[in-house]
Amino acid sequence: MLLGVALISAAVIIFIVQPVVKGLHASLEREDDELTDTEARKRVALLALRDVEYDFLAGKLDEEDYRAMKSELTAEALAALEADEAARAAVGVTTVESSATDDLESEIARIREHIRSGLVCSSCGYANDEGSRFCSSCGTALGDRAVG
Amino acid sequence: MTVLGEFALWISLPVALWGMFLGFAGGRTQRGDLVLSAERSIYAVFLLHVVASLGIVAAFLGDKFQYWYVASYSNRELELFYKITGLWAGQRGSLLFWALLLGFFASVAVFTNRNKNREFMPYVAGVLQTVLAFFVVVLLFAQVNPFERLDFIPANGQGLNPQLQNYWMTIHPPTLYLGFTAFTVPFAFAVSALLSGRLDARWIQLTRKWILTSWLFLSVGIVFGMRWAYEELGWGGYWFWDPVENASLLPWLTATAFLHSIQIQEKRGMLKVWNMSLVLMTFLLTIFATFLTRAGLIESVHTFAQNLQIAYIFLGFMGSVLALCAVLIVYRLPQLQSENQIESFVSRESAFLFNNLLFVGAAFAVMWGTLFPLITEGVTGQEISVGPPFFERVNFPIGLALLTLVGIGPVIAWRRATKKNLQRNFSTPVVAGLVVAAALWFAGARHGLALVTWSISAFVLTVIATEFWKGTKARARIEGEGFLLAFFHLVTRNRRRWGGYIVHVGFVIMVMGFAGAAYNVDTRHHMMPGDVVEVASPLGHTYALTYEGLSVSMGQGQRNLLWQVIATVSVVADGEPAGILNTEKRRYVTSEQDMTEVGIRSTAMEDLYLILSAVDDTRGALSADSSAQGIDLQVLIKPLVGWIWFGCVMLVIGTFVALWPSADRRRAAAETDADQAPDPRPTPIGSAG
Amino acid sequence: MKHGRFMVGLVGVAAVVTYLVWTGVSSTMVYYLTPVELMERIEEDPSFRDLGVKVSGKVVPGTYDRVEGQLLHRFDVHDLEDESVTFTVEWRDALPDTFTEEVEVVLEGRLNEAGTFEATTLLTKCGSRFEAAPEDLAR
Repeated sequence: MLLGVALISAAVIIFIVQPVVKGLHASLEREDDELTDTEARKRVALLALRDVEYDFLAGKLDEEDYRAMKSELTAEALAALEADEAARAAVGVTTVESSATDDLESEIARIREHIRSGLVCSSCGYANDEGSRFCSSCGTALGDRAVG
Repeated sequence: MTVLGEFALWISLPVALWGMFLGFAGGRTQRGDLVLSAERSIYAVFLLHVVASLGIVAAFLGDKFQYWYVASYSNRELELFYKITGLWAGQRGSLLFWALLLGFFASVAVFTNRNKNREFMPYVAGVLQTVLAFFVVVLLFAQVNPFERLDFIPANGQGLNPQLQNYWMTIHPPTLYLGFTAFTVPFAFAVSALLSGRLDARWIQLTRKWILTSWLFLSVGIVFGMRWAYEELGWGGYWFWDPVENASLLPWLTATAFLHSIQIQEKRGMLKVWNMSLVLMTFLLTIFATFLTRAGLIESVHTFAQNLQIAYIFLGFMGSVLALCAVLIVYRLPQLQSENQIESFVSRESAFLFNNLLFVGAAFAVMWGTLFPLITEGVTGQEISVGPPFFERVNFPIGLALLTLVGIGPVIAWRRATKKNLQRNFSTPVVAGLVVAAALWFAGARHGLALVTWSISAFVLTVIATEFWKGTKARARIEGEGFLLAFFHLVTRNRRRWGGYIVHVGFVIMVMGFAGAAYNVDTRHHMMPGDVVEVASPLGHTYALTYEGLSVSMGQGQRNLLWQVIATVSVVADGEPAGILNTEKRRYVTSEQDMTEVGIRSTAMEDLYLILSAVDDTRGALSADSSAQGIDLQVLIKPLVGWIWFGCVMLVIGTFVALWPSADRRRAAAETDADQAPDPRPTPIGSAG
Repeated sequence: MKHGRFMVGLVGVAAVVTYLVWTGVSSTMVYYLTPVELMERIEEDPSFRDLGVKVSGKVVPGTYDRVEGQLLHRFDVHDLEDESVTFTVEWRDALPDTFTEEVEVVLEGRLNEAGTFEATTLLTKCGSRFEAAPEDLAR
């Protein structure tokens, strides 16, 4: 019995004191593949966008509500997207999209493309079809202006 | 073995204190070696408690009656199974068991986060060790040490209370404890977020699954307790509004509120202080639940003997936790500002907010009612208590409002709902609710509260069914899938959302079962062998019950049984023979009281519940006197009771669906972010019109 | 404006809950008394009889009686401290298994004009329900 007591105490003490004595360190840093705050926000915004899409397709929203919601959410998603890119640039990480199969990533790519081609309305944020010259939500001329 | 266990419990205290100190110090100084040591100390405490628990079990198995705890809860004749569960049968053992489970969850939390969320872990380890150390201190210094020895060795133990010798009773406390203790982990993450100032959305994402898990255990534990009361206590009820039951309901209410309100924080960055407070409250309420049970300050059928020392230790602990957390929240207020504001009174956000308010309101009311005797005694010197009527009066309206919100939540739009949105989604369900109400009325149901409950339930179920139907249809159309496959994908692609709906369906079914109690039938009969009584159920069935007679068996000292008197009743349901039901009285050698065992015949719609209320002449019956056969038989009919248990199963299934991990880690993270749409390949943005 | 409406909603819910609690308490609360206190109260103010009360006392051994077939149980209860203060209790339901002629009971109900306590709830209270005191073991 005494032997058991001694063994247990010794094992426990060695086990917990070892890191301090030997200088074993646990990491205290965020790992690379974890979502950053801006990344998380970006995803939330994009998912909200998709939700509205789904609600419309499932017949839960009518056209008018859908358009209003959609333009609002698109604007927010874009803002989140840019914030995320700015954050990445700040820490010097280039945009690496890990998996092409991820539906979200393709969604991001699509929206980014829209920004580049200037199809997102600068006044209301609505994402227009390619080839549009005027915003189909508010009528503003689209031109070359990208959302700033 | 037992001596070793006792020793392990003692050294777990310095180990826990060491870990607590190093955790906080490591977080403060950002030294990885201190943190690693703190994390290892959590594993160490868990293993030490395993040894301690094994020591107790060994003492039970070896009939070591020199230990007070074993002598009080076991005897030589006790079945092996109950000797093992003796670990949590009594106050002292169950406190150790609590510490064991807490250590287990703490270890799981440390292990699963060994490579991620590292910036939270120092304080998480510190907080977990603080709570562990608290329980070890209670065990060692509050006169509840399970290893306490008597100064003599009794020849035999007192045996286990027969009412605890029931299957449900052996799994009900552990399940509840699992829920209670698991909640310490989210609490630790919340405090860690507060201490480290990392108050973005992450701590909530990290803890969502923990909260859901502990919520699941809590829910199931509560229902197990109801089931035990229903089968074992022998009066046909399943809920007393007893202080200890209330104490387990309190953290459930706040945890449920939290599960809903985090969605607003995730989606809209609002309610940060509120969510933080809910986590802290829920944790404190789990401690409060143990406190109520242990301290024996309030009279309850569950409480252990009164122990003021424990009361003071617990009060001190809860008070300091509350004060420290309040200070921390105030200190971090600038970082807990809301990022958005609620845009409209008619929106999903607002539905969630009302849901939260109602849950917290219910928790407040239950707490007030539970503590009322203590408060009045303290203030006026005159104890005044409130009973079940109080809790029913307050909670039924709140419950109905919540039930309605279950139906409103899924379809009302985020941000702001327009009139058209409401019309489009609510007309059919509202009609369904009204139709059900009318149908029940014509069928003769006149109980107002039950009618309203069933009508709202129909509304809610229609809403949820429509959600499933529309989602499946949309997906089937867009993806060109068959309906079954589309349905499967719909659920698996967004488990959190659809799992939540399944949980809601389970909840609604349970509520419908509760409402069935409005139509309980209760009849009493004095019967002699051969007598027949007919009892009609509110659902139109008739039961003809023939009392066949008493049979007596004398125990041969096995399983502590002294004698059994069994009344046999043959049942004819609607003219069809439906078997035999037994209800009996038993006497155990370890107890001076008779135990009643009820006979239950369950069907989907109603339970027939027989109670042997009394035997005219127990002594005569035992000595096989053929004239001593008269009994009092109580016949209860319990409509829809089975729905409660079935609803609970749905609730478990739904929670599992919501909890099931995703294959891909990034994807998993994405799913925790928000409700993922069921993945209809979106039409190119903007072209849908 | 929108926020005004919102606040009204929130305050409304809080007010309704408070109202429910308040009326709930005042309409369902019962005094928790010992038999001695109950008798004193009634002496002071006979209308106290009509109020429901909760009383704890000890069953007087040998007084338990069951009326066959009616599920009517009768027994006497005396004050824990002053054994001379007793009254008869009528209970019309199955007795809990924990009821014996030695237990302490907690009753809810009212004391009628005839001096019989018509109980509506009956709980037995015993410290040794799930746990024995250490000294009990030293038999």
